Amino acid sequence: MTAVDPEIRIPDPIELDRAEEERLAARFGTAPGSANEYAGFETVGIPDRPPQTEREAEMYSLEEGEMLLNMGPQHPSTHGVMRLVLKIRGEVVTDLDPVLGYLHRGIEKLCENATYTTVLTYVDPMDYMSAMHNEHAPAIAFEKLYGIKAPPRAEYIRALVVELNRVFSHGLMMGFLALDMGGITPILYGFINRDDTVELLASISGQRMLFNFFRVGGVNWDVNDEFINRLSRWRAEVGKAIDDNIALMTQNEIFTQRTKGMGVLTADQAISLGVSGPNLRASGVPFDVRKAHPYSIYPELEFEVITRPEGDTYARYLQRVAEIEQSLHLIDQIVDRMPHGPVQAQVPGIIRPRPGRAFAAIESPRGFYSVYAISDGGPNPYRFRMRDPSFISLQVMPKLMPGHLIADTMAIMASLDPIMGGVDK
Amino acid sequence: MAGGLVRALSDRFPELADTLWTDEDTVEIQVEGSRNVEVLQAVRDDAELGFWWLADAAAVDYGPDRDDPRFEVVYHLFSDRHPAWLRIRARVDRADPRIPTITGLWEGAMFHEREMYDMMGIVFEGNRDLRRIYMSPDYRSFPQRKDFLLPDDAADSAAAGVVPLERPETWDLSRFREGLTSAAAATYPPTAERTGTEQEVEGGETLADQSRPR
Repeated sequence: MTAVDPEIRIPDPIELDRAEEERLAARFGTAPGSANEYAGFETVGIPDRPPQTEREAEMYSLEEGEMLLNMGPQHPSTHGVMRLVLKIRGEVVTDLDPVLGYLHRGIEKLCENATYTTVLTYVDPMDYMSAMHNEHAPAIAFEKLYGIKAPPRAEYIRALVVELNRVFSHGLMMGFLALDMGGITPILYGFINRDDTVELLASISGQRMLFNFFRVGGVNWDVNDEFINRLSRWRAEVGKAIDDNIALMTQNEIFTQRTKGMGVLTADQAISLGVSGPNLRASGVPFDVRKAHPYSIYPELEFEVITRPEGDTYARYLQRVAEIEQSLHLIDQIVDRMPHGPVQAQVPGIIRPRPGRAFAAIESPRGFYSVYAISDGGPNPYRFRMRDPSFISLQVMPKLMPGHLIADTMAIMASLDPIMGGVDK
Repeated sequence: MAGGLVRALSDRFPELADTLWTDEDTVEIQVEGSRNVEVLQAVRDDAELGFWWLADAAAVDYGPDRDDPRFEVVYHLFSDRHPAWLRIRARVDRADPRIPTITGLWEGAMFHEREMYDMMGIVFEGNRDLRRIYMSPDYRSFPQRKDFLLPDDAADSAAAGVVPLERPETWDLSRFREGLTSAAAATYPPTAERTGTEQEVEGGETLADQSRPR
């Protein structure tokens, strides 16, 4: 053992504080410890350029007692890479500005430089929680452009895989909602369910996350015995993890206190703001593309469009729970009725549709997902447009969050279930 | 399939009847850009049409090389009363890309219009939050226009890249909007500036040659 070197001095924290105060005083010209100690801080976060729009000027001008708080871009509760600028008064949010683009990859432009076949691989990583849905809409649109139809068995397989995808996407949303409110366990159950389901989908498509399973005019692989065996085992066990989550969350006192009456979205507001999917139906509007403008085999299947009147965070949670049941009901029907036959129509290697335009919309787990494709007769689309539901749903945040505490804004955002890969395209 | 909708539309807008076009589940009409609010409000509020849901709003660039250089802002609408999508194509002049905003009809058009402004450079008059949404505020060009060159294409082009579009000193977008009032400044990107920017480097090679894979 050596003696302590007398030269080494542990700094006194109070002295450090004092040094920091002096530094601030030198910068902002206030006396340390005075009432105006934090003068100068209110400009932190305001862009160093003149406001470009009316709304920006309104958002970034502060009244007495207000300050700006940056949340993100790497905040764990922002469901990806997004920055929220919160204007707060104490702990209460008074205004909010979402700043997007951190994940922007220019997928639309990439697709305009890809052949029709390869477009289906580019759209996968958009909304990475529902890759099957991302492929479904372009496949329908390109089939319309090219004037072919997928064989009936392919349509049944498509409906089967998108409903499987919907089950794990909604199951994960329950987990993320709890996680953003401080509960760790539901996300673990959500991932048990999700891992079982993606393993199942991997046994048919070969990949766990970005499936690349759809083709123009059909699907890549037929279902085999292996898949059917796994599916029946999965069907017997899938309810367990979801039921465990429901038992943890639905009647939980803390959970209900923090979600009931929070972030209420009225039906008129939701329609005007373009909110779709479960968020819209949780506000009482029975709009589901599978019923409203049926595609694929959905006219032949029985299911209900469930709505809830409340429109709050709790209703959006219950809406997902109810839609999981409907999806499982659909999966049972699809497996019972699946016809025999080919799974791929005759399509050339390089598809050159006649000049024209096609619009296709589907119901993804996050809502209304549509594709608008224009062909000029060449091997790649002249224009390829995707409307992502979570991108449009983000617009409601400045409407829902003012008046709530910072901690509750995270719960409200999780209940909208945005996926940044889709938001930023 | 959509016969009722075609009849209703041609009764309501007889002057647009010759632009009507249908396919298996879509009915399409074309309007001038300045009429978009009027037509959209009519199809939304008309009891017989009732298109209450703005499904999509997107911009299409019919590039600078065509006989009729133009943008189109394409609206897709949904109604419970008709089994077809309604597509409204609003024509926008490419030299002066301005069109009225529809955020007064659907607030949710805000992000659509911000995206179109960011990607195509179409100015929506009356929109109170027309900022860039994906690219950073100091970004200067409009990446989804057909004359925006990707690095791959740039190696083969005379302009050899997107350099003249991305001058950092011109980041102030308000100046761009003021400039749009004169039609000459609005021809953006200026084509005269883009040609002849190929820079010679030592050995008689151009930058374009250097950027090719070897």
